[in-house]
Amino acid sequence: MADKTDILKATTNVEILPKLPIDKTPEEQLEIMEEYTRVHQATEDEPKEIREVKCLRVLYPRMFRSIDDRDLIAGRYDALPIGFGCVTSVGGVGHYCIFNKLETFREGLDEEQKGRVDALAAYWERRDTKAQFVNAYMDGVIMNAFSNASYACPVAAGIRLSGMMLDYNKLVAKGIDGLRQEIRFRDDGDGNPFYRGCLMALDLFADCCDYLAKEAEKRAEGAAPRRRKELLRMADSLRRIKKEPPQTFHEAVQLVWLYALLAGVINYGRLDDVLGEFLQRDLEEGLLTRQEAKDIIKSLWLLIENKRTTVNGRVIIGGRGRKNPEAADIFGRLCLEVCRECRYVEPQFTLRLYEDTPPDMFDMAMQCLAEGATYPTLYNDAAHIPGLMHCMRVSEQAAEQYAPFGCGEMNLVGLTIGTPNSIINLTKTLNIALNEGVDPYDGLYKAGPVKLKKLEDIRTYEEFYEEQYGKLHDYYVDLCVEAQCNSYKLLNQNVSFLFNSMLMADCLEKGKALLDGGIRYLGGCCETYGNINCSDSLYAIKKLVFDQRKYTLRQINDALLADFQGYEAMRRDMLDCEKYGNDQDEVDEIAVECYNRVSQRVRRIGIEKGLHYYGIVIINNEANTKWGLKTSASADGRKNLVYLNPSNNPQGGADKNGPTAMLNSLVKLPVKWHVGAVQNIKFQKSFFMENIELMKSLFRTYFKNGGCQLMVTVVDSGALEDAMVHPEKYPDLIVRVSGFSAVFVNLRKETQQELLSRTLYDAV
Amino acid sequence: MTQYREAYIMEVERFAIHDGPGIRSTVFLQGCPLRCPWCANPESQTQGPHLMYQARKCVRCLGCVQVCPIGAVTAFEGRPQFDRDRCIGCGTCKSVCPGGAISYIGSRMRTDAIVQILSRDAAYYRESGGGVTFSGGEPFVQFPVLYELLVLCRERGYHTAIETTGDTPWENMEKALPFVDLFLFDVKHWNAGWIDRVTGGNGERIQANFARLASLAADKITARIPVIPGYNYTEDDLRRIFALIASCGVKRADLLPYHTLGVDKYSELGRKYSLRSVKMLSKKELSGYRDMGREYGLQVEI
Repeated sequence: MADKTDILKATTNVEILPKLPIDKTPEEQLEIMEEYTRVHQATEDEPKEIREVKCLRVLYPRMFRSIDDRDLIAGRYDALPIGFGCVTSVGGVGHYCIFNKLETFREGLDEEQKGRVDALAAYWERRDTKAQFVNAYMDGVIMNAFSNASYACPVAAGIRLSGMMLDYNKLVAKGIDGLRQEIRFRDDGDGNPFYRGCLMALDLFADCCDYLAKEAEKRAEGAAPRRRKELLRMADSLRRIKKEPPQTFHEAVQLVWLYALLAGVINYGRLDDVLGEFLQRDLEEGLLTRQEAKDIIKSLWLLIENKRTTVNGRVIIGGRGRKNPEAADIFGRLCLEVCRECRYVEPQFTLRLYEDTPPDMFDMAMQCLAEGATYPTLYNDAAHIPGLMHCMRVSEQAAEQYAPFGCGEMNLVGLTIGTPNSIINLTKTLNIALNEGVDPYDGLYKAGPVKLKKLEDIRTYEEFYEEQYGKLHDYYVDLCVEAQCNSYKLLNQNVSFLFNSMLMADCLEKGKALLDGGIRYLGGCCETYGNINCSDSLYAIKKLVFDQRKYTLRQINDALLADFQGYEAMRRDMLDCEKYGNDQDEVDEIAVECYNRVSQRVRRIGIEKGLHYYGIVIINNEANTKWGLKTSASADGRKNLVYLNPSNNPQGGADKNGPTAMLNSLVKLPVKWHVGAVQNIKFQKSFFMENIELMKSLFRTYFKNGGCQLMVTVVDSGALEDAMVHPEKYPDLIVRVSGFSAVFVNLRKETQQELLSRTLYDAV
Repeated sequence: MTQYREAYIMEVERFAIHDGPGIRSTVFLQGCPLRCPWCANPESQTQGPHLMYQARKCVRCLGCVQVCPIGAVTAFEGRPQFDRDRCIGCGTCKSVCPGGAISYIGSRMRTDAIVQILSRDAAYYRESGGGVTFSGGEPFVQFPVLYELLVLCRERGYHTAIETTGDTPWENMEKALPFVDLFLFDVKHWNAGWIDRVTGGNGERIQANFARLASLAADKITARIPVIPGYNYTEDDLRRIFALIASCGVKRADLLPYHTLGVDKYSELGRKYSLRSVKMLSKKELSGYRDMGREYGLQVEI
């Protein structure tokens, strides 16, 4: 059995590309971490708000990277293994120490320095936020804190403040001095340390502006005329936004970017709504050319890309509830152009579609997708706004401010905390239930206090679903809710997230930090994985055991334990059972039933435990793969230790009736019970390009039918060759054969070869 | 209560986007009076379930030999051999095949069940200007079923298309006409005798139907010309075909370049493919005929 604190040494978050190397010497990094630790220790008896700012003062402005030659906007930051943050994608959470990164850092040092690192590690062992969370709340078997090592558990939890969508409209309207005034106005002089901390944080912001302005000016000396002009504009903007509200597009971008950086925020929300009017005015007054504006956006894109948060960096355009849609769309169109020209993995550029989306913007979006950009991801206001009104229990006006973050969770700009701090694996849950409480993956008992039945005593499908799977499922869901609440409690004991608090309703009004009762809607979400493997498995069990009586539950479980060795015919029967994603009602209804159960219980228990809302999200990063590698064989025919179905989609290759059928299956899950569910769809490039008008019709119909989201991948012909070697990676690559279209990997090898040669033939 | 007929179908293909305009569903009906040597859907020629055996998926367990209730599967050199004339299509062998090497194509489905499937994508038809296409085989072979389906589609407002060889009594075509928005009408050759000889169809009837249909509704017709090397792939033949089409007042023609993608199916059905040496054509090779079509006042697509 794994020690639950081993988790602290394991890697936590998805990091496809390593971060840029820190541009300070190891000795300097070590000194900063020592200084941070000293300040943290020295402020133990001070209010947490004051401690937070004093600690931030160690990091800023010192940990800024130098301004890159390509930057038109200032603000690059390196996170050290010890420091302060909101999310694991940049450093860690609260006052943190990332032990595995500290260990890596230690390796390159001399003996004396190593001793100093060990002293730091010893100090943080009990003070790191995540360590406290693990020690206080994780049992290590049924639930552990997020990491690669926690996937043996059926549920896991995290402590973090992900996806904050700050009210930048307020920021650009008031400016830093405006925020100061509001704080002074609200502070009735009784020494509320929250207000004191906020003012100190704003001072720090101003100091950072000065620091970066000076650096820009220094770099301007001796720079080529054009670069000199850019750097001096940067310095001017920084000196303006240090106090005043921004007047120009450049100043507004600079303010938003630097504020987000200091807040530790890595999703940027509805930037068209925030920046559109500045852009429009600058263009009209001739302060900027279109190209200059685009260069600024490109610089922003590069800064986001270089942060390398992999699953974040959301920039959203379009949709209802913007103050000046016409101005916003000017910004949106430039973003779409930048999206075509810069092939970055971030920002995760997102387009909200609504009744007034200009047709040219939809066409541009489709063009980006056709060229393989994978962006923008498409969201449907008509589905999401009523859905979120219900799930989050908010007004229409509030729901209009939805902003997807991360892999597809939701926040409302300036209004909610929606961080996903718990995750559940429904397939593993089913496998444990079927194996009477013991996880076939590692032989450990994971049913806790739930009394599960012997399989021989189960008479009906309903009994199996309700009494066996259902009971265990409900127990796990409740653990998730508890973990989410505990994460907030623990964070609130330690930190105030001052920069976040200042731009979220109603913290300044109430004089309270986000998690101290300040935020208007304290919500959250639980990520569900393996949804479809689970429901397809339940369907197969229903069919084969209870309807056809072909096998007993025991035989099914024995086959799964043996990973189908000696049970090949049974596996074929399981595979032959209908699967979700083909628009076949009987099996899709089981998927809907599973979805309803988990989403409704998560929400109900969350609300009972005092959250304003708690919703499920069906999203995907790499967890479906990594968790699958620690999940035993399932009754849908999926083999032992194989990836789970991605997000809300069928298991790869299970959808055989084409995209309309797949999309029809997707819309059967009622939107009102989730706070984000993403759909992947993938097309072959020339096919997509040649039929782009039909693709537009396909997507438009799906959205009219109530679809909430689409992520479109269009891959080029080189992918076909790769698909022959690695077919498992291309389960739904649609190709035009001749007179008919087909899923590439379903074709005979000979046909594939024929298609390959032909494609190359036509390629030029 | 309405009595719905049963159809012999191969499948209902959804998101079919090359059998007429927009996003469509195509119903493949079984049965065909013709036996074109290049046929890419040999399993569509006769009605009923056809056993398909994919040797590459076979794990040679020979379980199928043991379970066949009528002994129609025998072992030969470690592989199963199927006596398809005796096969009753019971599916027992398929149910024990661990590799999924055995499948059946062709099943019976009631027209209301077919329309139920078609109705699921109605919103996609509407948005894209698509609809439903009946293909085959030759859909007119099951005329009572086809007619019922056409009426049901018309009641629901779907755009309808038929891919046809034209080899059916005129009365059928005339009866169908009010319910069909588009005929994708095969014109395989200009010479009726040639059609008789090569395809086994009734060339004269086909040409008469084409002319007669065109006289009533030329704008509902797109002529489809399968271009087959060694059969009709000469400039002279294609010119004469274009001339024939144009003389009937039809304005649109599609050239369908010969492909070999149905070849594997022949061996899976235990049949021989007679055009094995003929090379596939590319779209590019036919692109010159677009201009030639224009000489005849035809809009030619490839």
